[in-house]
Amino acid sequence: MIATVVDWAALRDVVIASLAAGVGVTVAFSLAIMGLTRFAERRRDDRPLEAWAYAGLAIAGLAVSGTAVVYGIILMTSK
Amino acid sequence: MESDLVLVIVVATALAFDFTNGFHDTANVVATGISTRAVPPRTAVTGAALLNFVGAFISLEVAATVASGIVEADLITPTIVFAGLIGAITWNLITWWYGLPSSSSHALIGGVVGAAVAAEGTQALVSGGLLGKVIVPALIAPVLAFAVAGLGILLAYRIIGRLRPGSVNRGFRLGQLASGGLLALSHGTNDAQKTMGIITLALIAHGDISPDDFHVPTWVVFSAATAIALGTYAGGWRIIRTLGTRIIKMDPAQGFSAQGAGATVILASSHFGYPLSTTHTISGAIMGAGAAKRLSAVRWGVAGNIVTAWVLTIPAAGAMGGVVYGVTRIFGTGALGPVVVSILVIGLIGAIFGRRFREAPGPPPPIPVGES
Repeated sequence: MIATVVDWAALRDVVIASLAAGVGVTVAFSLAIMGLTRFAERRRDDRPLEAWAYAGLAIAGLAVSGTAVVYGIILMTSK
Repeated sequence: MESDLVLVIVVATALAFDFTNGFHDTANVVATGISTRAVPPRTAVTGAALLNFVGAFISLEVAATVASGIVEADLITPTIVFAGLIGAITWNLITWWYGLPSSSSHALIGGVVGAAVAAEGTQALVSGGLLGKVIVPALIAPVLAFAVAGLGILLAYRIIGRLRPGSVNRGFRLGQLASGGLLALSHGTNDAQKTMGIITLALIAHGDISPDDFHVPTWVVFSAATAIALGTYAGGWRIIRTLGTRIIKMDPAQGFSAQGAGATVILASSHFGYPLSTTHTISGAIMGAGAAKRLSAVRWGVAGNIVTAWVLTIPAAGAMGGVVYGVTRIFGTGALGPVVVSILVIGLIGAIFGRRFREAPGPPPPIPVGES
């Protein structure tokens, strides 16, 4: 009976979206923090190439986190 | 005229229920942000209230499920909706008295289902609606939130593990402004919609909206959003006073992961119209973030209480809804029954609160997890 009354496809989408967004944003934001911290350290140590590579990682992490949140809200309001 | 009076009573009761929902759930929404010192208490509570309000406007999928996906809207009368609401309020009072962490959302749905079955039999239920749209998703959501928060924080610790805690904590505290905001938004989205669904169901039963032309009137959205936001704001000041004694001790990374996991699960579920227990989902996320660091950080006894409350709430609130419907019908089919029951319930609530506050200043809110 459960198999017929439960919309498993929708529940699967909830699980995938939650895992992708919840874990993805935490990982992306962690990478952003790591990038920012290492950027400051490398700049202090006068290693500009590495410093800017970490700055790029920080920007990418922040961009992914922000985009995921905004996309999620747009998706919610568009239905 | 009499049915108009019943409708007014139902709308007022539903909005009162929505207010208490916000009041009760403030702890879940703001406690993590306050405990990691990401947000000052005053800002957290004010922000949560505002975002609860905004969140209520985001989607109407959950309202549609509550109004038309669980009970057969064309068989429902305003008195059934009233009895369901009173059944839910009664069960909430009982669980509050005994300190059981029950879900207002499950109580609301259980109450309406119970009253509908008492009035019309099982034909009043949408086939598979309760199981497919409420029970199974409500079982999955806290487990999913636990897994998302746990996996997220495990990966985060691998990335930030060798960094200096000072800069990491500062970064995640800033991140918690966004994740906490998203959690408050998701709470408003899912919980306010249940009240919108109940009021819309009453409007369908009263003949103001056709069951074939389902829509939620703007005044219903606005009033439900306002009620939950005011409840959140009012509940917050009590939380601020009690947080000093029972606080969830998490680091900002755990707080970020827990809030993010809770928000994504609630928002994704709301998108598909699943009326979740936001309390249980947020509790699951907090437990996941705590357990990933140290299993003993989680108060597993509280987790057991949540499971007990989860199992009991829908049938118990359903039984209450059925009994209230029976009592209401003693006074006939008009407005007398709802009026008498309303007076009785208001008197009962006054007596319970009077006795509780004479005995003690009031327990701190149940906070499910953490290293106290």
